[in-house]
Amino acid sequence: MFIENLLNQGDAPMLSEMLRFTSQRHKLLAENIVNVDTPNYRQKDLSVDRFQSMLRARVEQKRSSPAGSVSFDDIGMEIENPRAGILFHDGNNRSMEQLMSDQAKNALTHNLVVELLRKQYASMEMALKERIG
Amino acid sequence: MFDTLDLGASALVAQRTRMDTIAANIANIHTTRNEKGELSPFRRKFVTFASGQAGDRSKPGVHVSEIKDDMSPFIRKSDPGNPDADADGYVSLPNIDLAIEQVNSLEASRAYEASITMMETTKAMISSSLRLIA
Repeated sequence: MFIENLLNQGDAPMLSEMLRFTSQRHKLLAENIVNVDTPNYRQKDLSVDRFQSMLRARVEQKRSSPAGSVSFDDIGMEIENPRAGILFHDGNNRSMEQLMSDQAKNALTHNLVVELLRKQYASMEMALKERIG
Repeated sequence: MFDTLDLGASALVAQRTRMDTIAANIANIHTTRNEKGELSPFRRKFVTFASGQAGDRSKPGVHVSEIKDDMSPFIRKSDPGNPDADADGYVSLPNIDLAIEQVNSLEASRAYEASITMMETTKAMISSSLRLIA
């Protein structure tokens, strides 16, 4: 119970939710990249905007509620088929440039979130050890 | 996250198979006889992709669904001295266009590279996640 409270302090639940999102999205982007030559394959993606707005709402809710009462676990991630991009003759709406840049952005976000989470755990460790460094 | 690497591997296998097919087409661009030595020009082959991994179609990925023969007509070339020429002095050559094969091979190698890049990114993401533990 104590450990659970400790680990759920600060932004850790929100960050771990973001990690879940970035890894899910990476998987979908990877699937799109490998199916770039597959006829009739429709691209799949997760909506970043929708996820961000849901996350923002949850963070605001958390600020005005007592600690530990707001959970981040149930933020939904729906797979959508983006309509943007040219539909090629083989029925595939690929856009390699978009895919590669989305993938790079997603990976950078993932690394950033991991780094933030690491910092948070490091400061927790520091507090537990009661000494700096 | 680890299964994303399998996903990339499935694409590498599929694109390599495609490349092998293209190589066979280019190698046989002048082949007029089959393996038994009978007069039968080589038919251009091409691969078709389908989503899903080769071993388990329910897993995300890509696989070669089949390798088909291109049934377009053979190229007829006037060459009366050729022993494989018909009564009119024409030889039937394989229905292979070098330019098409070249473009397809470029496309296959670019797709292969894209999958490699994707796998590199996956590895970087995994190792950054692992740093949380270490």
